[in-house]
Amino acid sequence: MSGRLAAAAVQNRLAEADRAGLNATLAWSAAALAAEADRVDALPEPGLLQNLPVAVKDNIVTTGLPTTCGSRILEGYRSPFNATVIDRLRAAGAMIACKTNLDEFAMGSSTEHSAFGRVLHPMDPTRVPGGSSGGSAALVAAGVVPVALGSETGGSVRQPASFCGVIGVKPTYGRVSRYGLVAFGSSLDCVSVFARTVADAGRVLGVIAGPDSRDATTLAASPIVVAHAGVSLAGTTIGVPREYFPGDLDPGVRAACDAALLRMRELGAAIVEVSLPHSSLAVPAYYILAPAEAAANLARFDGARYGVRAPVAGDLRELYRATRGSGFGPEVRRRILVGTYVLSAGYYDAYYARAQTARRRIAGDFAAAFASGVDLLFTPTTPTTAFRAGEKTGDPVAMYLADVFVCPASLAGLPAMSLPIGRSEGLPVGGQLIAPSLAEAKMLSLAAVLEGALDPTAEVRR
Amino acid sequence: MIWETVIGLEVHVQLGTRSKLFCGCSAGFGDPPNTNVCPVCLGLPGALPVPNAMAVRLAIRAALALGCRVHERSIFARKSYFYPDLPKGYQISQFDRPLATGGRLLVDSADRGSVAVSIQRLHLEEDAGKLLHDRIPGKTAIDLNRAGVPLAEIVSGPDLHSPEDARTYLTALKQILVYAEVSDCSMEKGSLRVDGNISVRRAGETALGTKTEIKNLNSFANLERALAAERDRQIEILERGGQVDQVTLLFNAGTGSVRPMRSKEASHDYRYFDDPDLPPLVVGAGLLEETGAELPELPSAKRLRLMSVYGLGAYDAGVLASERPIADYFEAVCRAGADPKGAANWIINERGEYPEPASLAELIALVAAGTVSHQAARKIYPELAGGSSPRAVAERLGLLQVGEADALGPWVDEVIAAHPDEVRRFRAGDSRLLAFLTGQVMKRSRGTANPQGVQAMLARKLEGS
Amino acid sequence: MSVSREEVERMAALAQLAVAPDELPELTAQMDRIVGFVARLRALDDLSGEGPQPTGPPETLLRDDVVTPADLARSPAELAPEFIDGFFVVPKLGAMEEP
Repeated sequence: MSGRLAAAAVQNRLAEADRAGLNATLAWSAAALAAEADRVDALPEPGLLQNLPVAVKDNIVTTGLPTTCGSRILEGYRSPFNATVIDRLRAAGAMIACKTNLDEFAMGSSTEHSAFGRVLHPMDPTRVPGGSSGGSAALVAAGVVPVALGSETGGSVRQPASFCGVIGVKPTYGRVSRYGLVAFGSSLDCVSVFARTVADAGRVLGVIAGPDSRDATTLAASPIVVAHAGVSLAGTTIGVPREYFPGDLDPGVRAACDAALLRMRELGAAIVEVSLPHSSLAVPAYYILAPAEAAANLARFDGARYGVRAPVAGDLRELYRATRGSGFGPEVRRRILVGTYVLSAGYYDAYYARAQTARRRIAGDFAAAFASGVDLLFTPTTPTTAFRAGEKTGDPVAMYLADVFVCPASLAGLPAMSLPIGRSEGLPVGGQLIAPSLAEAKMLSLAAVLEGALDPTAEVRR
Repeated sequence: MIWETVIGLEVHVQLGTRSKLFCGCSAGFGDPPNTNVCPVCLGLPGALPVPNAMAVRLAIRAALALGCRVHERSIFARKSYFYPDLPKGYQISQFDRPLATGGRLLVDSADRGSVAVSIQRLHLEEDAGKLLHDRIPGKTAIDLNRAGVPLAEIVSGPDLHSPEDARTYLTALKQILVYAEVSDCSMEKGSLRVDGNISVRRAGETALGTKTEIKNLNSFANLERALAAERDRQIEILERGGQVDQVTLLFNAGTGSVRPMRSKEASHDYRYFDDPDLPPLVVGAGLLEETGAELPELPSAKRLRLMSVYGLGAYDAGVLASERPIADYFEAVCRAGADPKGAANWIINERGEYPEPASLAELIALVAAGTVSHQAARKIYPELAGGSSPRAVAERLGLLQVGEADALGPWVDEVIAAHPDEVRRFRAGDSRLLAFLTGQVMKRSRGTANPQGVQAMLARKLEGS
Repeated sequence: MSVSREEVERMAALAQLAVAPDELPELTAQMDRIVGFVARLRALDDLSGEGPQPTGPPETLLRDDVVTPADLARSPAELAPEFIDGFFVVPKLGAMEEP
């Protein structure tokens, strides 16, 4: 009956988080938890993730709990099917604990753009946990659940993982099925994992990864098997891209990274400087490509067949415009408009085509770096520690620049992760590892070594 | 002033698959509304498309049958617009990297002889659902059973020069696609749809005039009538010095006139981009070869072969080749021993259910041998369903022709005796009376006598005296 | 390169998004800021090296042509805001253009 016990424990912690006003969840219930517990207890054999409670970002569809994507336009929407990742988790004995809060339709870097209120940073309620997967990050950081699913389009798991001081892993694009992940930027979206340990992240990733006949963009790759024994950093070459260490980098972040690099060197790694010369094109390219795909992906939300419908009395066009105008929040609306603009007649070549070119150049930079003998790249995950709520909402571009270090690996489709490497003025600092395509196992095993060798709660000395 | 008409046709055919293009829902016709639906074709959040291998195969087959070049890599693209029959708010189609280009279809024009119509492109796309405007008062009803059904869009160049030729082209195109078992091409069921683009110019000019588009034509006849009406309308405008506006039109079959579609302002901005949910469609050499091998002998080749191998004339060969089952049946009847010309006559002139090839072959042989008359055979024919033997049916119906001299002799003698006047006139030179006398013998025999035998016997006996 | 109010209105119409007149000035300013930021890519002259995007498989997988049940936990009727006699129901087309 250990499923029931685990469920009861999670339920208490979820209730506590609610009382503390964390606002990290959008849906959970005792009944749903009990049903999950009964289901896993009834499995004929214990699975790889038996009794593990998993929080799920609310843009991954589930038939039990509603799926809102943090938006009014899907308030109360109950999906008639489960995402592939949900099926795989459950088949392995995991329990879906709750749906977590997010920036609306995964568009944002702070979770301030949720229609259902922002999520508090577990260590400082005046700060943001990052986004868009802020709810998932906060729950793991607060110890409510050991692991959570998020999604990444431009860094939406690594960035909040860095802000909250937890592990956040994005797999190679195509490793994990997107069937059931509500699409934002289809060529970029990756279901990703939050955990408190590298080992847990690896276990969950191993279960959800793998080809899916319902997603034509999945890769037929061999399973992710993370070695634990006998792994060391000796003989590993870590590349440090100079473009990610600008002169004006936050001193606390820089100090934490320097300390981590020193530790790596002590453990036997060779550290070399590399260059990824097209790095500065990444954020502009991303904010052309992702909105363009999003504008088309969100065209299906019109109140005709499901979801919320605006109560207007006019004709169909009025219904569409009112439903979408009021159902989408301001950031989603801006991105749909930008996406429409960059694809529109006369602008496609100037923006979209060029962004595709920039993307290929960025991917080329990474390929060249790895080909030159680098095993992994190491960078700061974010340019700063968690910023305060309201600090960046006045200027959309300021918010976009929070993604400057995480967005390039998304464009290149590479596996990448953030792990906590220290504290700066009490706030977590994340270090990012980027690996070659399909090299999750290597990345995770080396990350585990680093994890064992660093104290993530240690305040850095500047 | 001599005007030249320039016409291009855009045809959509529903590919004959069991399931839809991007999901496993049934592509069947006529089911209760919204019963062949799933997350993918409903456009639910989180759903993703996966292409149907048979749809790809049929599209390749169609492309090869039309002499197109099939591209090794082609790309699906999103065509964005809002309309209630389009669940995702975009249609998955193909844009600048279509499956096939550069084909050709030869059309027999009444005025121009053989016209080579270019096939500019053939691409795959998904169909939209169906709207019903009168089902529920004051509202629009949406049925998404058809949403996601696989279509091939086939675009001709502006190579047709008369409404009649356009109709001939469409007929030939349908014939090829039905032959190749790509689609049933039924305009009634909506598995064949056509839009026409038409402009006019003064004879001798090379530049094209402003073209208009006529949509939603629902029959071959209406295609021809609509194009003719629009041609005349454009000529009338230009002759009085006006300008043709680039509009989209609908044809009113009742009045025979065209009118602009409601509120067609600026042309649509479809904002095409490569669909990120679908990696490139790759057609390897193996698939191409296999599909090519699946192609049957096509109509024009079959026509020529029937003419040369069976000695048929162009018209007969054309009728027999119009549908593959008919041509196959003809050849089976010939293989069963029938004379080709006889077989052709029967098959072309009779309709309804054809009997077993061996049965028809036997019937044709009986007529040729004089065992049954032609008229009698037409009575026997309907009774042959189910494999009955013609001879047995003839016996049952008392239609076996009497040809032996012993039987014929008495009737002939009776008639000669009964009509001395006509006999005298015949011997005096009025040869037409032979037919009359033959007819009299036929009457006496109640139609069972073999008329050729009777005529020969009469001629012999009357000559004698 | 700046984004005009007319362009924002036109994009909103294309995207079927209602924008109230009093929202238009701020929205235009924000759009202008965003487009101005991403426009630095316009300095990239060289569009050569066209090719597929660097993510995902090189060719699409295909599906066998088999009818498979949808296995929906909820029917269209349960999902739809309005559903009559088996049909999804929306208002009359009105000003909506036929494509």
